[in-house]
Amino acid sequence: MAQIEMRNVQKFFGPNQVLKDLNLTISNGEFVVMLGQSGGGKTTALRAIAGLETVSSGKILIDDVEVQGRKAADRDIAFVFQSFSLYPHMTVRENIAFPLRAVRMDAADRDRAIKEVAETLQIAQHLDRKPSALSGGDMQRVAIGRALVRHPQALLMDEPLGVLDAKLREQMRAEIKRLHIARGSTSVYVTHDQIEAMSLADRIVILHDGVLQQVGAPDEVYQHPTNLFVAKFVGSPVMNIAKVQIKGTEVMLPGTDGGFHFGEDLLAGMRHTGAAVSLGIRPEAVLLAHEKTDGFAPAVTTNIEPLGSHDIVDVRLGETILRARTQSGFVTGEGQSVWVSLDPARAHFFDNQTELNLRGAA
Amino acid sequence: MAEIKLRDITKKFGPNTALRGVDLTIEDGEFFVLLGQTGAGKTTTLRVIAGLERPDAGQVIIDGQDATAWNAAERDVALVLQQYSLYPRLTVRGNLEFPLKSRTQNFTADQIAERVSRVAETLQITPLLDRKVERLSGGEMQRVSIGRAIVREPRVFLMDEPLSALDANLRDVLRVELKKLHHDLGATFVFVTHDQVEAMSMGDKIGVLNKGKLVQVGTPDEIYTRPLNTFVARSVGTPPMNLIDGTITGNSAVLNAGGHALPLDNSIAAEGQPVRFGIRPEDVVIEANAPAKGRVFDVENHGVLKILAIDMDGALVHATVSAQMDVGIDDPIAFGWKPEKVLCFDPGTGHNLGLDRV
Repeated sequence: MAQIEMRNVQKFFGPNQVLKDLNLTISNGEFVVMLGQSGGGKTTALRAIAGLETVSSGKILIDDVEVQGRKAADRDIAFVFQSFSLYPHMTVRENIAFPLRAVRMDAADRDRAIKEVAETLQIAQHLDRKPSALSGGDMQRVAIGRALVRHPQALLMDEPLGVLDAKLREQMRAEIKRLHIARGSTSVYVTHDQIEAMSLADRIVILHDGVLQQVGAPDEVYQHPTNLFVAKFVGSPVMNIAKVQIKGTEVMLPGTDGGFHFGEDLLAGMRHTGAAVSLGIRPEAVLLAHEKTDGFAPAVTTNIEPLGSHDIVDVRLGETILRARTQSGFVTGEGQSVWVSLDPARAHFFDNQTELNLRGAA
Repeated sequence: MAEIKLRDITKKFGPNTALRGVDLTIEDGEFFVLLGQTGAGKTTTLRVIAGLERPDAGQVIIDGQDATAWNAAERDVALVLQQYSLYPRLTVRGNLEFPLKSRTQNFTADQIAERVSRVAETLQITPLLDRKVERLSGGEMQRVSIGRAIVREPRVFLMDEPLSALDANLRDVLRVELKKLHHDLGATFVFVTHDQVEAMSMGDKIGVLNKGKLVQVGTPDEIYTRPLNTFVARSVGTPPMNLIDGTITGNSAVLNAGGHALPLDNSIAAEGQPVRFGIRPEDVVIEANAPAKGRVFDVENHGVLKILAIDMDGALVHATVSAQMDVGIDDPIAFGWKPEKVLCFDPGTGHNLGLDRV
């Protein structure tokens, strides 16, 4: 159990700055996911917390105690890597027991600790096998077991499901979350997979180019992205982005005659800035109709992706292609005429220069 | 333009049988997707079509001609792989010209220039033509690979997981582009993938492979709504279709886990027969007074929707619900299903019992 704090953390690798003034507080018992592309700084941040990487400046506090000068072993934090990094010549039992060697513990207590963690992770039946005899999922369970057996203050995980296949990844996701709830330990998890982040996290921390972009609950990050990077990184298919002109209460897409009507209150926040803006709208907020409807503009379908549970339909509107999420079979073919509208409540406007979400600022 | 037929193809690698009597017809101009897990035999099938593997038994027929003994060059097919395999020292233009400059081709310089510029336009890589390949992004490199395949104007395009190495957003974009390319060229495409989203969204037809056997061929809609067996049922859709064991009693499905009784539209199996019921997560309905009871095991927030895993006496049932639903882990929950969407499978063979009745 631990609260982790990063204050003004900077990290340079030679001339490259990989963490730029990072400030973050992770509460006791929280599950935080650091999300970003490779090179974004998320793994460096995680390794800095663990003590596997020094920081160039700034402070790292665990339960209000500065630890940036301490060795990894003295921080009481466990780390799980993407590569399972088990000892191949040892049995599962010996692998899990390994971290207990350093602490004085009698044999009975040690056995009890191993048994408890093995039962939680459902690997008790494998205790006497070698890692090479296990499936990928079981190997990662053993790696997590080895991390948890000491009851560390915090559990740090760096893309732990990255090498597993899709179905196993989905199953392990739920297991890791249940484990977190059962143990109540502070967990920090690094991934580049936005679905993993959305489904695991209490809060998501998005890093890009070493700069913290946004910290928030999954809903917040999805519905109120602070900037264009976050908007495009979270959600699949990606949010539609189109440069638009705002005339009065009309939002005009390039190459169209009419605009979409937005309420005065929705546009008020940004008009006075006078900035050139882009509209951002998720596929589920692009509404389609077969018949001419008030507030809808004519468009032509250009592509349909039937996914069984729903379809993704691309429509051309002037110079813009918008992706819309519809019921299965709503549109039957390409080249069809449809009517399109946008849900103003779920639209975003981004400043083309700063890429900031103007509605977030209003 | 080509129609491809595989007749009873068997291919062994030492003691391992990679393909077991595969029969398959790919129509001229079709976008055909081979879907399967690693080791299912999809890449081997593709290589047999390409002439890179010689089958141990069976025939490959291209446009009505037995092509089994033809080598790869004679078959006039183009292969695009997951790895880009471009010439790093050459420019994009150099890579695109390469297949046309081979000794077996007799193109004039003008013809080559014309074809290269047309292909570059199709794939929107004209501005990149004079750049070195090593300075391109992953998506640009894959476009060049595809360009190198289409510049020869082959009869068949074979693609082996061409999008797998790309990041998610780029995959979305190239999926649409490949479909458009297929539409514009009108050529036969055979596309191998393990990704069910790619298979569903791109294919005119999908062939599902399992352990060297072709299990089912059908349109995406057929594969999704009328799967031949539980294997096919779970190979498309996320999360996969729920399979719940139970028995039929009157017009109800009585589930083994918890003994809950859920309505059926019309009973397909006989009274009292054990059945494996199949229901997709989007057809599970959460309602306060619904007949089945459970506890929320997991909630995954996907932004546009939430996926619940419901623990029903030890069996997990997945349900897709609105993103606005207020639900937490360990909450008690009641659920039902859309009776018209329930499929019935034989618990022993996995066979879809509903397909026997017309």
